Amino acid sequence: MTDDTTPMTDGGTDEEARTDGGPPATVPPDDETPTWSERKEHTSGLAQLTYQYFERSRREDENLRAESTYVERDVLGFPTWPHETIRNLAITSFFVGIIILIAAILPAHYGEPANPGATPAIILPDWYLYWSFGLLKLNPINPNLAVLGGNIAISNEFLGIIAHGIVFGTITLVPFLNKGGARRPVEEPFWAAVGVTGVVLSITLAALAIQNFFPITLDLLLTLTFMLPLVGGIITYAVLKTMREGYMYDLNRRYYMLRPPK
Amino acid sequence: MSLKKQDDMDHNAWLKKQDLTVIETAFLTTLIWLDKRLRIVDYLELLETMYYRANMQMPKSHTEQYDLDNKFWYWYPLYSLGSLSIIAYLVAAVSGALLGFYYSPSTAGAAAQGDPTAAYDSVVMIMTDVQFGFMLRSIHSWAAQFMVAAVFLHMLRVYFTGSYKEPREVNWILGVILIGLTLLFGFSGYVLPWKQLSFWAAQIGVEMALATPLVGEWAAQLLFGGFTLGQATLVRMYILHVFVLPFVVTGLIALHVGIVWVQGIAEPH
Ligand code: HEM
Repeated sequence: MTDDTTPMTDGGTDEEARTDGGPPATVPPDDETPTWSERKEHTSGLAQLTYQYFERSRREDENLRAESTYVERDVLGFPTWPHETIRNLAITSFFVGIIILIAAILPAHYGEPANPGATPAIILPDWYLYWSFGLLKLNPINPNLAVLGGNIAISNEFLGIIAHGIVFGTITLVPFLNKGGARRPVEEPFWAAVGVTGVVLSITLAALAIQNFFPITLDLLLTLTFMLPLVGGIITYAVLKTMREGYMYDLNRRYYMLRPPK
Repeated sequence: MSLKKQDDMDHNAWLKKQDLTVIETAFLTTLIWLDKRLRIVDYLELLETMYYRANMQMPKSHTEQYDLDNKFWYWYPLYSLGSLSIIAYLVAAVSGALLGFYYSPSTAGAAAQGDPTAAYDSVVMIMTDVQFGFMLRSIHSWAAQFMVAAVFLHMLRVYFTGSYKEPREVNWILGVILIGLTLLFGFSGYVLPWKQLSFWAAQIGVEMALATPLVGEWAAQLLFGGFTLGQATLVRMYILHVFVLPFVVTGLIALHVGIVWVQGIAEPH
């Protein structure tokens, strides 16, 4: 176009309007994809909140990245092929090999056919359910829990079910009870002690399940079932608490310089 | 907008303008031909992105940055316990599928109480008649026990490294569900041969279910097919063991590992 002011057929002077004679076209009619913020303005209620949150969280992410003190590596990461793949194949073959080896030298046991008429002297599940079976054998402590003048308030079986609920419930709640950035057991002796108590309890409960094999009285076994975990927990707590000071000094120097403890 | 073909999209004209060797021309012509029909370029781009992701320049990890490696290397094997659970699960799945060819979930065939049932006999048959069957059953049993052991230990490693903390609570809860289902896997499998211990383990299961208030009877009927053990119990345990649990557990493991993938492994500090 040599002369911008040449009048057009309709008397206008706008170059852009020449194509279809409509109003000045700033946006081509077939390219109306709304931008992110336009979409946000058009929506309302929950959708708008969602967009707003997305934008916030993206900004937060960007800020965190900008503030990060991470140092870039000067080497590339290990390639997936061949390093990772071959290492994983090696671990896998080794582990499967061990399963097959053990299966060969310690063949699976088989027993008598089922007989609904004859209760066997010893009923046991596989070893990994011993702890659960132990929880079902807590009936001797049931009367202690009764509120009404020595009457058994709940059936022995239901006590076992409640015990299972408590175990699974406690494990589920762990992340909501123990918060913060600490990772090492020395940083949180209490929670390490809780963990050790749990592990020892699972073992003593398993022992309670196979009580017939222990040459000690049931009373003693029951006491031990609950005392040993506590002892284990207390020892853990004491040891870690003692180690803590020296360890934390090191940790603080190395690590908390950049990220203060919560 | 004009419908006329735009010149800068005329790839052949663009090709002619370039000063290319025969090989380059042939390659580009083929690529353009294929791309017009199959949108090859999109997939190439995806592949390229994947390549760069896999070989990405990673930020220094915490362990590297503070030179903690000398303190931590001996913990690293514990970080493979989750993968070992999966491997044992796969071995159990394959050997279990093979056992399934021969096993029959039926309590038929017992003339008197205490006689072998069809289920019991089919396991005897696997152990004595089927080629390699004794070994197969042994492998299945040990794979199951390795899986449970690995899952237990995996949970302990997650606990003692504090890896369940924010933002990994969901994965911890998924884990609790997974360990419960793994134990249920073991329990339902234990019942299948219908041997003496199978029967009485299931008997305890029914009694526990019945002792639960409100939902107890319903649960007993759903899981054990009634209040006394019999054919219905065996079939329910069978369906649970070879149909319901495999799908649910495989799906949950995929979700669990997917979340680990997205969140990354929690490093020890
Ligand atoms: C079928 C059972 C399970 C399978 C196959 C499985 C698999 C995995 C795998 C492969 C990982 C990657 C890291 C690693 O291997 O250590 C992982 C991480 C994790 N698992 Fe499991 N898991 C199972 C059960 C559990 C249980 C019982 C829990 C806890 C209650 C749990 C909680 C977690 C958590 C919190 C992570 C993230 C840890 C981190 O980021 O360091 N999982 N799981």
